[in-house]
Amino acid sequence: MAMRDITLGQYYPADSAVHRLDPRVKILLLIGLIVAIFMARNLVAFIPVVLFLILATVLSQVPVRLMIKGIKPLRFILVLTFLLNLFFLPGETPLWDVGFAVIKKEALLTAILYSFRLVLLVMGSSLLTLTTPPIVLTDGLERLLSPLKVIHFPAHEMAMMMSIALRFIPTLLEEADKIMKAQTARGADFESGNLLKRARAMVPLLVPLFVSAFRRAGDLAMAMEARCYHGGEGRTRLRVLRISDGDVAACVLMAALIFCVVACNSLHLY
Amino acid sequence: MQITLDHVTHTYQPGSPFQSTALEDVSLTIRPGEFLALIGHTGSGKSTLAQHINGLLQPTSGRVLMDGQDIHEKGFDKKVVRRSVGLVFQYPEHQLFEETVARDVAFGPRNLGLPADEIDGRVREALKKVGLTQAGIEEKSPFELSGGQMRRVAIAGVLAMRPDMLVLDEPAAGLDPQSREDMLQLIAQLHAQGATIVMISHSMDDVARFATRAVVMEHGRITMEGTPEEIFRHAERLESMGLDVPSVCRLGIQLRQMGVNCPDSVFREEQAVQALLDLWKEGKPHGHA
Ligand SMILES: Nc1ncnc2c1ncn2[C@@H]1O[C@H](COP(=O)(O)OP(=O)(O)O)[C@@H](O)[C@H]1O
Ligand SMILES: [Mg+2]
Repeated sequence: MAMRDITLGQYYPADSAVHRLDPRVKILLLIGLIVAIFMARNLVAFIPVVLFLILATVLSQVPVRLMIKGIKPLRFILVLTFLLNLFFLPGETPLWDVGFAVIKKEALLTAILYSFRLVLLVMGSSLLTLTTPPIVLTDGLERLLSPLKVIHFPAHEMAMMMSIALRFIPTLLEEADKIMKAQTARGADFESGNLLKRARAMVPLLVPLFVSAFRRAGDLAMAMEARCYHGGEGRTRLRVLRISDGDVAACVLMAALIFCVVACNSLHLY
Repeated sequence: MQITLDHVTHTYQPGSPFQSTALEDVSLTIRPGEFLALIGHTGSGKSTLAQHINGLLQPTSGRVLMDGQDIHEKGFDKKVVRRSVGLVFQYPEHQLFEETVARDVAFGPRNLGLPADEIDGRVREALKKVGLTQAGIEEKSPFELSGGQMRRVAIAGVLAMRPDMLVLDEPAAGLDPQSREDMLQLIAQLHAQGATIVMISHSMDDVARFATRAVVMEHGRITMEGTPEEIFRHAERLESMGLDVPSVCRLGIQLRQMGVNCPDSVFREEQAVQALLDLWKEGKPHGHA
């Protein structure tokens, strides 16, 4: 019943160079990193990517333990893709006959490459969410997407919806915890019985939860209108984003990374 | 039936960065038939304590005993505590979910596994107890009712389990003055009918009027305990904790500051009227026209 134990958004508070970067720049850096990861065609080309990630992690002061934790849920997918690639990719140089299949050198290298890509992708995105509060992230996203307003893409509305949802998830969890306790006090049982019985036991939780969510939504809409909210048109901002020297340095570093990856690719190693 | 908290400490989310200790070494026995008021500042741990009384929360250390038996021991059926101790949460109307008032009140007895005719009888009895007697109200949706009526339905839902003890977390919060008064009269009536009452309240006037004993909490600890008379004699101490005192006490303090000989044991309206009449009969108060 410990609903509050679920931590949402995995922001790790600290005052580091990475935390201070502009959220727009951080999102672009992640895109750059993803491009670099997919461009890398051999294991040597991954060296600069790994170095970049290590540097970023050290600068961010995020404990390595937390970065590793992000990969944990992926371990089954990782093992599965590795094995599938290993056994089913074509290759010419046989390495090892395991009986039902022959492992080939090319397949082994590609399998390693793909798994590596997956791990690096997850670590890179974890680093973004670990060092940027969700609200700041949506703010950055809105600003990056705002040029698309020309083609009537609702960038502001999307970001507003995302930040409201993020704001209310903990509140709703707390509410769910309270309602669950209140029904338990009336003898409700959420923990035992077969699937059907458990599904039915959710009704006394879900109905009040929806009622409360709608009430909150109504109150919030009223409160926003009372303070003259009328969409994103002409709204000024609480957090003024400015590009600092650190942001410029990070971008230069990213350009260097992509250059290194391209250079390593052309060396035709492994 | 008697519930005892024995050196209870409760820590929320232990081991996480959000760890917070809401109760610290709390020992308290709730005596059968008493009307116990739980008072204290917001965040002092009153609600946490209330949720220990019926075993919803488990102490991090210490024990909760029902007639001498540890309710968290293996083999002890928690349903026994849940049936004997009815817990009415703050804003209990937020827990209503059924299509009709009658079905919602029946939720508790249904969970107890009672036969249908017994459930019907209990629903009618509980609705009558809370004063919801208008014709056809059982078949209404609880969401059509007024705030005060919804709260009555929620309380009926707890009463339908026929608890010996009723724990109410700020039962009058957010009600208009008339519904407030009705609610307090309802609780007083349940007490008169023999129920043990534990009521969390911010209104010292209500505590002065109804409680037979009061417990004051501060930072998760019990700092004062006694009859309302004993507690309100320490008006200054209560005020230093950021708590109110009954308006009658405030009047007494002001009279004493003006040099009027008003006894400090006065905390109820009737007593105040009597004391003022006595003073009047003694002649004009000293020092003042
Ligand atoms: N579910 C919970 N998780 C974490 N902390 C909580 C929870 N419920 C209450 N607390 C904390 O415990 C303390 C006591 O809260 P509570 O018992 O609700 O006090 P009161 O009812 O006197 O206002 C507060 O500091 C509160 O923040
Ligand atoms: Mg409370």
